[in-house]
Amino acid sequence: MMSRLAMTVCWVSAIGLALFLLLPLAVIAAASFSPTPVFDLPLSGASLRWYGRIGRLDGFWPSLSLSLQIAVLSTALSLVAGTLAAIAIARGRLPGATALGTLLVSPLMMPGLVLGIALLQYFRMIGFTATWSALLVAHLVVTLPYVARTMIAGLSRFDFTLIEAARTLGCTYAGSVLRVMVPALAPSFLISGLFSLLASFDNYPVSIFLTDVRSKTLPIRMLQYIEEAPDPTLAALSTLILAGTLVLLLISDRLVGLHRMAGTAD
Amino acid sequence: MSEAAAHLVISGVSKRYGAATVLEHVDLTIRRGELVTLLGPSGCGKTTLLRAIAGLAPPDTGTIRLAGRDLTQEPPHRRNVGVVFQSYALFPHLTVAGNVAFGLKVRGTPKAEIDHAVARALSLVKLGHLGGRRISALSGGQQQRVALARAIAVEPDVLLFDEALSALDRKLREEMQVELRRLLQEVKATAIFVTHDQDEALTMSDRVAVMNKGRIEQLAEPRELYARPASLFALNFVGLSTRIAGQVVGSQDGMVDVVTPVGRLTARGAFQPGASVIVATRPEQLRLGAAEGANAASGRVRSVVFQGSRTLVDVDAGAGASLLAELSGREAEVPRVHDEVRFAWPVAETFAFAAEAAS
Repeated sequence: MMSRLAMTVCWVSAIGLALFLLLPLAVIAAASFSPTPVFDLPLSGASLRWYGRIGRLDGFWPSLSLSLQIAVLSTALSLVAGTLAAIAIARGRLPGATALGTLLVSPLMMPGLVLGIALLQYFRMIGFTATWSALLVAHLVVTLPYVARTMIAGLSRFDFTLIEAARTLGCTYAGSVLRVMVPALAPSFLISGLFSLLASFDNYPVSIFLTDVRSKTLPIRMLQYIEEAPDPTLAALSTLILAGTLVLLLISDRLVGLHRMAGTAD
Repeated sequence: MSEAAAHLVISGVSKRYGAATVLEHVDLTIRRGELVTLLGPSGCGKTTLLRAIAGLAPPDTGTIRLAGRDLTQEPPHRRNVGVVFQSYALFPHLTVAGNVAFGLKVRGTPKAEIDHAVARALSLVKLGHLGGRRISALSGGQQQRVALARAIAVEPDVLLFDEALSALDRKLREEMQVELRRLLQEVKATAIFVTHDQDEALTMSDRVAVMNKGRIEQLAEPRELYARPASLFALNFVGLSTRIAGQVVGSQDGMVDVVTPVGRLTARGAFQPGASVIVATRPEQLRLGAAEGANAASGRVRSVVFQGSRTLVDVDAGAGASLLAELSGREAEVPRVHDEVRFAWPVAETFAFAAEAAS
């Protein structure tokens, strides 16, 4: 009896939590189709007019382009550097490898605000003033921990005998890495890449210190819009970003399976 | 051995890791089609030697020649060896057939040939019906077979097995030993097994190399190895034995007289009088009662262990010496614990080894 009651409580909390987490997203999506500038319930019809206005937002396209450039580039660099670092930590006989691993992942635990101020001061100190490059380096600091953490975990489960097996079967060392290690680690690459992309794309606290009037990343531009003219155009934009994220997740699921990415199955 | 028959020739191979010498001037020649086991405890260098042959751990000195080619400087992918790893090392992202085809694909073999070779290799290991399976859906024994099929498919010049059966449970392992030997003979493969399991070594191989501290202590056919161990180490590592310490008092024609706590014994061996030796024999050589011209000792039975076809009798011969006798099931008389017994065994089956090697 007791266990049935406990199970019911657990289920109710699980469903409650899921609703609590997802409901704001549903509200945003609903508001984006509102025909009136002020979102009102009950809905009095649906309209796509706000979607049409996204592209006409002041400075929208440069901001989107900047955010995408920084997100894609910092993710690509993180994937390469993070994987190499993870190999050194998981495989090398470095003294203090564990400490080094913790250090690599530590920006994850640091408040973004602190990181942003620190980077701003540091870049000023060394005279590094190019906004675009500064943003890229800062985002590298943000994204690298995601990649390093996931790749260290992935590599610790990877059997390096597989590479030896491939070599004895006729592969060069580089060929073995490409034909065996990369596919076997595909889930780790995908999940860390996804995390890294999202972490960079929606980063606010670090970017805010490093952007200037001319180059603003999308999150910062969005905050500016909401201060200037709060209408459902932002809801429409948010809904599009959400849809884009969903598409990414669906593609990943097709490629490796979300259960493998979440680590909930072997 | 003639040059033509010598398929794999290892000469003067040494390997050090830092201060530790793992292989010390190893020579080993293997004929085409021969099945050889490297047998020894962990750390004896057997796996390092296997990895040196595969090219995964190049030796510091010495040469390795395979099928007439000097491989010493060749990377693993140009050696044409097949390796079956202890962990099997199957590629998790490929199917069973994908794993078996891997080596051929890398070599750029035409598709039709690959399909044919994969089907043949899988049918050899009796997994023809499982080609489309994922690796994670296989049992340990099936994975072992896939690993074997993958290594065989490329028709390597030599097959190397690194403790390949040790992960299987006992019954399956014993079945695989017999089946693997039959299969390797069928495809006329030259193979080297690395194992610490003496039963596996005796079952599977044409010759066994007993390794200790980076050296080959003895290279012999299984029967010879058991009946004529060349060192105390080889005696101890393969099979059971009775061992008694003593001092040489006389030496003549390759035989020595040794004074031991259980009496004067005669053994095969060449030692100067005064040398400390261990006198040893195999348990099945001991017979109840006395015999003319044979070694003999008496004592009190400490334990009797019945093992079906045989019975092991442990005798306290006094002064710290003990006798181990194996009596076959047909023996009419089996002593009981605390019985006073006398055992005799042939001089020709008694060996003397230098005592200091025991440490």
